[in-house]
This record gives sequence, C-alpha cells and structure tokens, in this order.
Amino acid sequence: MLAWNEMRRAKVRFGLLCGAVGLLVFLILFQQALLGGLVTDFIGAVDNQDAPVLVFNDQARSNVEGSFLFPDQAAAIAGVDGVASTGFIGEGTYTVETGGEIRDAVMFGYELGGLGAPSSLVEGRLPAAPGEAVSSAADRDNGFGIGDVVQIVGDGGPTIVIVGLADDLRWSVAPTMFASYDTFEAAQRAVNPQSSVVFPSLVGVQPVDGVDIGELTDRINSEVDGVEALSRQEAVDGNPGVQGVSQSFGIILGLAFLVVTLVIGFFFMILTVHKARALTLLRAVGASSRYLVKNLLVQILMVLAIGSFLGVVMTVALLRLGPSGEVSAKLDPSSVAATLLGLVVLALIGGLAAVRRVLRIDPMSATSGAGQ
Amino acid sequence: MSALQLSDVRKVYRSGDQDIAALDHATLDVGDDEIVALVGPSGSGKTTLLSIAGGLLRPTSGSVVVAGHDISGYEDKKLTAFRGSEVGFVFQSVNLVPFLTARENLLVVAEMTGKPKGPARSRADQLLEELGLGGRSRNLPDQLSGGERQRVAIGRALMNEPGLALFDEPTSALDTEMGEQVMTLIRTEVKERGVAAVVVTHDTRMTHFADRKVEITDGRLAASGG
Ligand SMILES: Nc1ncnc2c1ncn2[C@@H]1O[C@H](COP(=O)(O)OP(=O)(O)O)[C@@H](O)[C@H]1O
Ligand SMILES: [Mg+2]
Repeated sequence: MLAWNEMRRAKVRFGLLCGAVGLLVFLILFQQALLGGLVTDFIGAVDNQDAPVLVFNDQARSNVEGSFLFPDQAAAIAGVDGVASTGFIGEGTYTVETGGEIRDAVMFGYELGGLGAPSSLVEGRLPAAPGEAVSSAADRDNGFGIGDVVQIVGDGGPTIVIVGLADDLRWSVAPTMFASYDTFEAAQRAVNPQSSVVFPSLVGVQPVDGVDIGELTDRINSEVDGVEALSRQEAVDGNPGVQGVSQSFGIILGLAFLVVTLVIGFFFMILTVHKARALTLLRAVGASSRYLVKNLLVQILMVLAIGSFLGVVMTVALLRLGPSGEVSAKLDPSSVAATLLGLVVLALIGGLAAVRRVLRIDPMSATSGAGQ
Repeated sequence: MSALQLSDVRKVYRSGDQDIAALDHATLDVGDDEIVALVGPSGSGKTTLLSIAGGLLRPTSGSVVVAGHDISGYEDKKLTAFRGSEVGFVFQSVNLVPFLTARENLLVVAEMTGKPKGPARSRADQLLEELGLGGRSRNLPDQLSGGERQRVAIGRALMNEPGLALFDEPTSALDTEMGEQVMTLIRTEVKERGVAAVVVTHDTRMTHFADRKVEITDGRLAASGG
C-alpha cells in the first residue's frame, strides 16, 4: 500500500522513470529481435536441416565455406561405431539468374531421401529429382517462389525449379536453395570447369538410436583424421558470422543492461535520500526495516513491470507495423522471458544501494527532526 | 498497574571526550489513565525522557517498564515491534508521511504492524471524525493547516491502541487558540480510551490539561503541584 500510494502521488516522477525503463527495454528487445533475425539469416540453413551431426574438415573451424572432406574420410566416418547412416552435403555460393535479375544465392546439395533435408518446409514439397529445390521462404518474392526457375550462371550451370518453401532457411543472409547432391555437383563444375572432382563440404551423420551425440562426435573426432564432428547446435554456434554479429550486439546489449541497472539504482537512491525523513518517521513509529525494504523492492518491481510492458508493446508494434527489410527481426518468447528475468535481477541489484540506505536509517533521529 | 515506570534512569550522551548527562536519576511513575505534563526549559532532557519511554533510545542505566514489560534490555527488533504496538508518539517536528493522505497516515501504522485491514479502516475513520478531520481525510499533509496536521499526528499515535501516548511539544508550533484546541482533543481522546499520556511542553498555560505536572531541569525530575 505504502509503495503504491507513493507512486500514485508522484505520477510524473514515476511515469518518467517507467518511460525511461520502457525505452531501454524496447532498445534491448528490439536489438535482440534484430540479432535473432540476423543470426537466423546467417545460420538458418544448418539449423533447419535434419542431420543431427555435421562433420567438418578440422581446418575449416566450423566454417562451412572452408570445409571439404575426402572420400576416404567420408568412408571412415560411416564406419565409426554408433553411426547409423551418413550423407554428403555440399554448399556453395553462386551467381544466379532468376526473375530476369542476376543475384547471389546459396545452394546446399544433399542426397535426396537422405540426411541434410530442410526440416522447416511450409509450402510445396521437398525436391524429388535433380533440378528441383526448396528455397528460403523469405525470398519467395525475389525470384525464389514456387515455380520460379533459377539458372546457375556458368558454363553448363544447372537450371533449378523451386518446388517448396521452408522457413528460416537462409545462409549467410542470402537466398538459399536445397537441391539434390547431383545438382550441387553440376553447379560446382559450372563455376570451376578445371576441377574434375567435387568434394562434399560436410558429411551429415545420423546416430544409432540412443547413442549420445556428444559421445559420438568425440568418437568420430578421435577415430577419423582431419575432421571435426559437431552437433547441429555446435555448428550453428560456431559459425564465424554468428560469432561476429553476436559479439557486436553483445557489447551494445550489455551496455543497455548496465544503463537499466544504473538508472534504476540512481533513481531509487535519490528517492530514498529524498524521503529519508518520512522513512525515519515510519521506523520511529514501529515500521521494521524489512517492511520498508519490502516496499522499496515492490516499487522497483512495479517500475520494471510497467517499463517492461511498455517496452514489449513498443517492440511488438514496431515489428508488426515497421517495414520488413532485408534482415528479418524475430522476437523469441523464451529469450524475451529470459531478458525480463535478467532485468529483474539487475534492477534489484541496482536497488541495493537504496536498500542499504534504508537499512542505515536511525529511527532515533525522528525525535530531533534531523532525519537525514 | 502503571503505564510507565522509570526507575533511576540515566542517559549519558558522549560528545567528543565529554559526557553529557541528559537524564539523571530520573524516576517517574505514570498511572494507567493518567496524563502527566512534563515541563522544563530547552535542553533539560524532555525529549530524551520521552524517547527512552517510547523505546527509541536505550537508557545508559536504570529500568524502563511499560505496561509491565521491562524494555531496557530489548534488542532492536523487539524495540521496533514495541514502538509499533505499545506506544503512540507525536514528535516535535516531522510527524506525517508527506505522500500519504491523512487517512493513509493512520492506516500505514496498522499495515506495517500487520493489523487486519477492515477494523483498521473503521478505527481510522472514527479517529479522524473525533479529531474533527472527517472532511479532510483524503487530503495530503501539505494541504492541511498546522493544527490539522497535529491532529492527524494525534490520530496516528492512537491508531494502534497503545497503552501509553507520548507527546513532544504538540502545541509549540500553534497559536494559543489552536494549542488549546489540540490539548483539549488530546485530553478527550486519551481519557476516553483510558490511555496514559506524557505531554511535554514548555508552555505553562497548557499544563492545566494534565492531571499532574512534573518539572525537569538539567535532566533531573522534580514533582510539583498541578
Ligand atoms: N544525540 C545527542 N547527542 C549528544 N547530545 C545530545 C543528543 N541529544 C540530546 N543531547 C543533549 O542532551 C540534552 C537534553 O536534550 P533533549 O532531551 O533534547 O532536551 P529537550 O527536549 O528538553 O530540549 C541537551 O543538552 C542536548 O544537547
Ligand atoms: Mg525536545
């Protein structure tokens, strides 16, 4: 009651604080949405293909573009205990012509019916023959919609018809297609006429039922020379693009979190000093420190709740109404929840100075009227 | 039974290397529903005595018994609870929480001591009514006159039904007429509820509201007629 009444009587003061916290929450959530969208645009293709384990060349350092595996390595992987099946996965970036325009696009090739198929199909079907592909649904209007014909530019480059769309399928922020492994080979030959053999970029692995993925990747790494087996998640997290983007955003987000903590900390510290006389009086007439601290924490939580509400509303509104650019922004409910929980903890930490101030109040000073 | 028994209470303040005895061999017995006026010049130890009786300050020596409980050995938490439930205090200066209305200033003491809401509300309304503040209960302190504020403070002091109420110069900031009015209210409210009271004043015109007058000079008490 005490907490709420004070807020009601100082609407402007608390309103401004809630507004400031709301803007900061908005800043954090919107950046997280951008980051989420950007990350998905970088690694969607690997995240949304169905091979649980991906084997890279160990020199590639989780970089799909820099990875290729020799046939004997692929064979050795297939022979590791706990491996149920394997499949070649190829990846390349190509200049393509579609809808009368020249563009860059990524193509993943996998053995049809085997590992490495897109798992987030939303329309159409998976490729059933060479020359068919599923594409990233976000690029449906840019020449990668169902029925569109995509021509790989180069000598004898294959012609690809889009037969399905899958969500979050982009790779390195480019339109991305999943086609048969033969189609990938044909595209590679078209752009590198000199090379006679095409090596797979990765080998997808399906573990035997009940085999632990971590143990399996360890076993592959120790038994097969020159490879690095990663779980799908490890492959996503280790992506160099993702790491760069996450780091830059991480710094900005960290600063925003710090600012929230400081804003709340300073505000409540000033407020507590400002009303020290009233707090002293209350202590003198029988309020416990606990009661006053509880009211302080209730206020901090109320400010945060209102600020978070405003921030979430602003973020959702902007994501709904704002222009959908090349980079998609994505608000993930569980990461929003984690962010808000983190803010609660930080706000309470920010409030510690004020709590300490409350605990140091000497009720005796009420008699002299000093109160400070 | 006595509402307040001070026996040989001594309070020494240490300031620098000097010890100041603000209260010395103070012995005072306030009866169950007695109003005692404590009169003395500035710096004589009146506030110190009230603070010790009200559990805000611990005596250097001597015993303080309020409603049968010896509080001189209470630790902080027990003293806090004691202040919330056994005594009512009207301070010399700041008495009201500025961001709470008159009514809320009464309710908050019930809330912080965990009293049930319903009875607290009706008690607050009744007190405000009796104190002539029925129409002012939704006003914030800075919308009230000095006399009204002092009356709210009286209501606050009586809110938790204490056995002992302590008033530190309740009329010093008021003109004579207002002062008389407030003293009359204090007497009525206190007597009606059978509450014992100590009223500090240096205004001798106000002492006739008390049942008994005690004088204090340099920390020493001396009974006198009145
Ligand atoms: N916190 C304190 N520290 C040191 N001396 C104090 C303190 N409080 C009061 N005193 C001294 O104790 C004496 C009595 O003070 P007080 O009880 O406030 O007197 P009164 O209320 O009668 O004016 C004064 O000399 C005063 O200076
Ligand atoms: Mg005094």
